[in-house]
Amino acid sequence: MSQNKAARGGASSKGKRSNKPGAEEKREDVLQAVLIADSFQTRFEPFSVERPRCLLPLANTPLIEYTLEFLAMNGVQEVFIYCGAHHEQIERYIHDSRWSPSSRSCPFSSLEFIRIADARSIGDFLRDLDKRNIIDGDFVLVHGDLVANISLDGALAAHRARREANRDSCMTMVLREAGDGGHNTKTNGITPAFIIDPNAKRCLHYEEITPFQTDRYVTLDPTVLEAREAEARTDLIDAEIDICTPDVLALWSESFDYELPRANFLHGVLKDWELNGKMIHTEIINEGYSARASNLQMYDAISKDVLSGWAYPFTPECNIFPGQTYRLRGDNTYQEDEVEVAPGSQVHDSILGKDTHIGDESSISNSVIGRSCRIGSNVRIVDSFVWDGATIHDGAVVEHSIIAERGVVGKKVYVHEGSLISYGVSLSDETDVEPATMLSLLSYSGQAVSPQPELVGSQGKGALFHNPEDDEADHDDPSILQKSLIYSLEDLDIETSSVSTLADDDYMSDDESNPISPTASQPTSRSRLSSFASDDSGAPSYSGFHSDAVHGLLDVLRGTSGNFESEKLEFTSLRLANNASDGAMRRAVATAFVRRAIELMNAESEPLEPIKAAKQVLTSREGASEFVTDVGVGDRSVTEQTEFALAVQKACANSAKLVEVAKAGNLLAAMLQQMYDLDILEEEGILGWWEDERGKEDGQMAGVREKCQALVEWLENADEEESEDDDDDDDDE
Amino acid sequence: MGPPKGGYAPDLDKFLDTLKSRPVDASVDFLISLLKRRQIQGSESCAIATARVLLQVVAKDKWIDVDQLIGRIQLVGRKLVAAQPHELVIGNIVKRVLGLIRDEASEDRNDIANDSPPGGTTTLPPSIETVPVEKSIRPPSLAAFGSFARSQSMFTLLSDPDFIPSPSSTSQLGSGSSTPQRYPQSTNVQALKSEVIDGIEEIVDEIRQVDEQIQNYADIYIHPGDYIMVHQPSRTVQRFLTRAASKRKFTVLIVVDPSASHISDDPYASFRKALTSGGSTVVNIMNVGLMAYMSRVDKVILGARAITSTGGVVVDSGAAAIARAAREQGRTVIVLGGVYKVSPDSRSHQEAFVEWGSPSKYVNFADGRMVGQVKVRNVVAEFVSSELVNTYVTNLGAHSKDHLHGIIADHYNDEDVNFDLFGKTQR
Repeated sequence: MSQNKAARGGASSKGKRSNKPGAEEKREDVLQAVLIADSFQTRFEPFSVERPRCLLPLANTPLIEYTLEFLAMNGVQEVFIYCGAHHEQIERYIHDSRWSPSSRSCPFSSLEFIRIADARSIGDFLRDLDKRNIIDGDFVLVHGDLVANISLDGALAAHRARREANRDSCMTMVLREAGDGGHNTKTNGITPAFIIDPNAKRCLHYEEITPFQTDRYVTLDPTVLEAREAEARTDLIDAEIDICTPDVLALWSESFDYELPRANFLHGVLKDWELNGKMIHTEIINEGYSARASNLQMYDAISKDVLSGWAYPFTPECNIFPGQTYRLRGDNTYQEDEVEVAPGSQVHDSILGKDTHIGDESSISNSVIGRSCRIGSNVRIVDSFVWDGATIHDGAVVEHSIIAERGVVGKKVYVHEGSLISYGVSLSDETDVEPATMLSLLSYSGQAVSPQPELVGSQGKGALFHNPEDDEADHDDPSILQKSLIYSLEDLDIETSSVSTLADDDYMSDDESNPISPTASQPTSRSRLSSFASDDSGAPSYSGFHSDAVHGLLDVLRGTSGNFESEKLEFTSLRLANNASDGAMRRAVATAFVRRAIELMNAESEPLEPIKAAKQVLTSREGASEFVTDVGVGDRSVTEQTEFALAVQKACANSAKLVEVAKAGNLLAAMLQQMYDLDILEEEGILGWWEDERGKEDGQMAGVREKCQALVEWLENADEEESEDDDDDDDDE
Repeated sequence: MGPPKGGYAPDLDKFLDTLKSRPVDASVDFLISLLKRRQIQGSESCAIATARVLLQVVAKDKWIDVDQLIGRIQLVGRKLVAAQPHELVIGNIVKRVLGLIRDEASEDRNDIANDSPPGGTTTLPPSIETVPVEKSIRPPSLAAFGSFARSQSMFTLLSDPDFIPSPSSTSQLGSGSSTPQRYPQSTNVQALKSEVIDGIEEIVDEIRQVDEQIQNYADIYIHPGDYIMVHQPSRTVQRFLTRAASKRKFTVLIVVDPSASHISDDPYASFRKALTSGGSTVVNIMNVGLMAYMSRVDKVILGARAITSTGGVVVDSGAAAIARAAREQGRTVIVLGGVYKVSPDSRSHQEAFVEWGSPSKYVNFADGRMVGQVKVRNVVAEFVSSELVNTYVTNLGAHSKDHLHGIIADHYNDEDVNFDLFGKTQR
């Protein structure tokens, strides 16, 4: 330390490499922060299609305001904001706000945007940051959806002391105690488990526990427990406030496939402690508030906390956001100026924005109403969020839902729990919105969709929002639990399951756990063979594998990038990184090929017939069939082939949303035929698949299977006659 | 090397340090943020910060006459009050400064009126204040003076040997208007400025010396053998009692709130030591148990956050119950607070003085069930109505309720007393 004091005079010694202690100290009086303004998640859909999560209003204030205010409150001087999707909106917002570096009231000495257009994860951001060399010392890493009022001074000082004692202490995580019992502000679905040495405050191990796990155990490396005390803490709220040294960025760079700061990075670094020697510490606080609005359930919980004053001074009354004029009225209601509440109405425990009018005999409780909202008479709004400029006509009922900006709810409409009504959606009079319905004017890709009168009424605007990637996501991916406003395991049937059910989930009907239409889910047949249990469960980082793998493969199949040689390498590394199972590999390969085939069939310019599509997808790119053989099928045993055929069937069945069932069936037959011709699948494999019980399920699965009858018959005949490579079954199509 | 002393988080000291190096507007906005985030809180800190930032406004802003300056102070004042409407001293200081400017300006006017011809007091209406300097007529050079002279210019020139041509004085030449104005163009903005600055410095000194001055009255109120009850004693109260304890022996009952935030170290350790070293006795009691002690108590001493013109007092939460209990038992309630806390504010409903803070003082956020099921409200300050208070002790001495109006009249200008600082500022 004394040495550092002496070095203060040489503050301009910029030539040094940033990861040397001498340079680290050079500007320590300036605190830097990195704000991640893109989540790479879809948990706020449909709202996040049009607007980044950090600009969504929480208690009528954009989320990023809380985060920046938190940084300013802790004396941060330089801020780097990493943007991905919607970066232009974020930049425009900041530019027009008091945070703009040109604004005189900006508390930061500098605020810079860094845009990484092709980033696909937070890991890409941090690896980019490492390359830029703009971080000189300790910095605070936060996300753009953070609401916190804690003071970091203590944690920063402790971090510094640790770093000076041992240069390998590279990161301090600030965690909030939240008790062992249930807590609204804890994340549902994914429980972080920290194994911590309580004396040294060192984090030894990190896992995420999900309801999908069979065993609910955390596996520890025995070395973790050597000669140390260890506490397993699952009672912590992790708002992902990290105090990092530049070494952390170097670690990110070393592990090119890490994506998530916790499930990948933290887990990985701690596991490889003996290799990298880096230590990560925790600072567990028991005062103050910190939480991330990382999903809609947390959004709900944090809004309630703000309303009850837990995030003080970030309460509406403190009017942190310039221009707000909230004052507390009776009944714990915060009102801005020019709010009109008709005398007969009851409002309690709510927030009412400027220029909002509420008609007679309405009742509003535990809700947040934005600015310039028009609320009619006899309206009942409970536990809901109504954003700026929404209109709710007479007699409507809104229960525990979100009505986004400019939404219109017609007369006597009933919006049931968990519904998400996106920007500008209009519901005509007397519509009944089923629980947990997502309505939007745009599709997941941002295209305008035509209205669905059966959902929004004859005069309404909006359609069911649906992201096809949700279908492909594994059903044991805990993130699906966080996609709805209301947390529920009901539709998932986890509690009743036996040991083998997790594998069942893989092959369950698609709608099963889909938060969009839980009412539509049919009862699952649970008559599974126990031998079917696979090893899919438990791996915390498994979630991202499927979508990444499918996207990567699709790119190759489309011919836009790479070839199968390199893709195979990438696929293998992806698999190792995510600890994905054989089943997951099969599914990913099958899904990618089927999706490409469907793309060809649906192509606008020259749609292909299923046979041609199957042929093209399997043969047009060099190495495709070898790839399928090696990666998809594996060791060519009959069982493996059966499994792969099943995966293809499943993928075709899933795609029935995009094409008719008959066409999907044709495609399946063509694909199998083609794979037979290419020696990817052998007769025994296909016949084994045909016999397999799992393929005979009701619904789409059986639907697509029917079409293969001819193929199978031909195969059986061919078997008997042991002859002919005749293709005449193609004529069946 | 290391980080700034005391961590990175900004506070009053850091704010005061940066005042000089920042532009005025940035300082104002910074203070507003700090007030909103409650990083500057407590009446003394708020008062000092307000006075300091207003001093910067006076010193650095470009103003060319008194009305403009007053308008500017009012604008800044409104913003500051809006940032923390519960802290009445902010409004007090703003009004004090406004009164100060008016006083200095009218002294000026008197000087002028005594000497100058009547025309000298007519000036531009405020609307023309923004006339750019370039367009205004250049001040007459001495050579041209003979032909161009007006009584006004002549007067300025003669009355002020260090006359510096400034936009304010020159623009008068172009004025054909006879609009009367309450405050004249100051003949010397610089002089007025330095007088106002001195005045604000005096206010700051006054705030800082309050504790010292108030403790001088300790002997009058505290007698040997007294039983004195205090509630979470502020520094003012602590020093008041410490002074008394240096000469006399008495018993102090400290009422502490049963708070969930488990602070292990006693915040009053040094206070306790100071009292016991003089031979006095100190007893700690929890808020819930205070009624039992009340019959023994001779006097209750409360530190004020603010005192309203009607005699109501804003105190730390918990103190109102003590005041009520003391009233029921007929005990004396003495309120301590500097004159700067006496507010001309005339808002009628008490709710406005009350701020709701974080419930975490009483319920740990980690208690998920309580957080989820129970609505916990924690009031930061409470209002004690004037009937419950016997005496107010300020740095000027002891006052009765009826006397407070006199204090307000002495310290605030009538025009400012009714000025509504709570008007809308953000439009």
